[in-house]
Amino acid sequence: MRIHDFILGLLTVLLGTITVWLSKDFPSLPRQDYGAGTFPTLVAVLLIAMGLILCLRGWIQKGPLIVWQDAIPIGHVLFCIMAVVAAVAGYILLTPTLGFPIVSLIMLTVLIGVFTKGRWWLAISVATVATLIIWLTFAELLLVPLSLGILEEVIY
Amino acid sequence: MMELQQSLAMVFDWQVLLVILGASIFGLFIGAIPGLTATMATALLVPLTFFMDPLPAIGAIVSATAMAIVAGDIPGALLRIPGTPASAAYTDEAYLMGRQGKVGQALGVNLACSVVGGVIGVAILAFFAPLVAEFAIQFTSDEYFWLALLGLSCAVLVSGTDPVKGAISMLLGLLISMVGMSSVSGQMRFIFGVPELLNGIAILPVLIGLFAIAELLRRLPEIGTISLSKMPLVKKPFEGVGGLLWKYKGGVARSSLLGTLIGALPGAGADIASWISYALARKLSRTPEKFGTGHPEGLVSASSANNAALSGAYIPALVFGIPGDTITAIIIGVLMMKGITPGPDVFTTDAVLVNAIFIVFILANILLIPLGLLAIRSARHILSVPHGVLYPLILLFCIVGAYAANNSMLDIWIMLILGLFAYVMVEHNFPIGPMILAVILGPVVEGNFLRSMIKANGDLLMLFDRPIAATLGTLAVLVWVAIIASALMSAARSRPNVANKENT
Repeated sequence: MRIHDFILGLLTVLLGTITVWLSKDFPSLPRQDYGAGTFPTLVAVLLIAMGLILCLRGWIQKGPLIVWQDAIPIGHVLFCIMAVVAAVAGYILLTPTLGFPIVSLIMLTVLIGVFTKGRWWLAISVATVATLIIWLTFAELLLVPLSLGILEEVIY
Repeated sequence: MMELQQSLAMVFDWQVLLVILGASIFGLFIGAIPGLTATMATALLVPLTFFMDPLPAIGAIVSATAMAIVAGDIPGALLRIPGTPASAAYTDEAYLMGRQGKVGQALGVNLACSVVGGVIGVAILAFFAPLVAEFAIQFTSDEYFWLALLGLSCAVLVSGTDPVKGAISMLLGLLISMVGMSSVSGQMRFIFGVPELLNGIAILPVLIGLFAIAELLRRLPEIGTISLSKMPLVKKPFEGVGGLLWKYKGGVARSSLLGTLIGALPGAGADIASWISYALARKLSRTPEKFGTGHPEGLVSASSANNAALSGAYIPALVFGIPGDTITAIIIGVLMMKGITPGPDVFTTDAVLVNAIFIVFILANILLIPLGLLAIRSARHILSVPHGVLYPLILLFCIVGAYAANNSMLDIWIMLILGLFAYVMVEHNFPIGPMILAVILGPVVEGNFLRSMIKANGDLLMLFDRPIAATLGTLAVLVWVAIIASALMSAARSRPNVANKENT
């Protein structure tokens, strides 16, 4: 997908403006003109300037505001993006209750199954081995506190 | 001499050697898979290096990247798909050599030149870095401010064809670096009521988001589009390689030197080095008409240059703490997480470590020969790993990696959001390199500027008072003039393009 440079420029200008507004109250250092607000304001002003150039260039070039030009259909691309977002969000929301092993097993099985177009046995076996290896490396070897969730009651 | 012995003892520890071997095999695998870059290999390794001592951590990254760049040549020669962007310059050449039945020779040349280029790059690094460090030891905040600014500006200038988008990417990186408590004034900035953001946005989720998640999002829809059916068998690697290397020895030497220099420029990495060396080899060749038809001359030059550039990038990174490319930006991040701030002082206070790093470099480059051969032999197997299995595994690894450093779910959100953001940016031709450089250099630029202003009582002109600072400052201003000029020119150029399109 290609969003026109004009819109991207506008978004940049908007972000710059918000940053200027958010940085206006940062105090300067004692007996100085400069302080915590200097750099954010400078960066924001430069963002606005670059955004305006992008807008101007987009305005001259014309063309449709949003266009799909890839060989891969938009539906498939959106599906892949949504799959990643759902997997990550699901991991964050479900791990504290279900625990890492269960979430990882389900997530990998579903993703691999879907992306290999239904090789579910492969998906389940890879997911099991991978979950085990990651658990052993991170939780046991590197002592990262990956949550056990409901499994905690089962094991202890 | 004592120092060298200590350094050798540090490197030839079985744990360090094991890490280097493991990381090389990991780099080999990631590099050989089309679409997965050396930078992604680094980003995926960082969570593990977080738990290591500084030397094995750097050793892991150095060997993984060197191996990934070499392995990236393999799918190029076999399938005409570059494994990493650094191989893109000569993919066609290597593939066409393969079509003539010389695929073994093409890969052998790639491997041999990479080792030669890498070793020359390390030699230059080990010789010049301490000299520059000695010179840099007298730098104050004025010089560091200009140096960091110069690094950022060069990164924008060389990042791609569009300096406006490069500049926006850099500015966004600076914004990310400003979240949290200001190091000089202690002021809270842009934390939006989230207490976890007080210490700023952690570098690890940023890296993984920008380089792993964004790449994953781009590659996922392409699953199943690569056909392995026409892959030729690799026979007799290294046949005639020695002769070719001798024939084009001038090209190897020139490209290794040029590659190191380009690598040392902030923002320009292995991919740019290989494109420029290839173009230069064609220009200086006696038979330029043979380029692009499966002729080894360009291959020799470009594959020496990209590995030399990897070493070159470490000169500014180790001496000034200014990254030369995205990979060294990550290394600086790793070192800072371990409480080591790269700079000229490191050469005196941690001389043993610095020498050990040089030894690791040489070791990693020598290790390329057996592992490279292994990669060439097992290419068919690596390339036939189904991507539908691989990408979900990488995704889970990203999630656990982003979480590992601070045990914070917020970091996983940050990784996801920045990954989506970087995906959209790359799809619209915004380069990501300047952004990560800005995340690392933002606090350096700002902190040194404010320190200089405190010393000078707010007099801006004092930034030009010292001779080296004045030179660096003038250079930085010139680079910005160049950026603005080319931005305005690009705006002006867009007009005739439209006219042409409408005419045709």
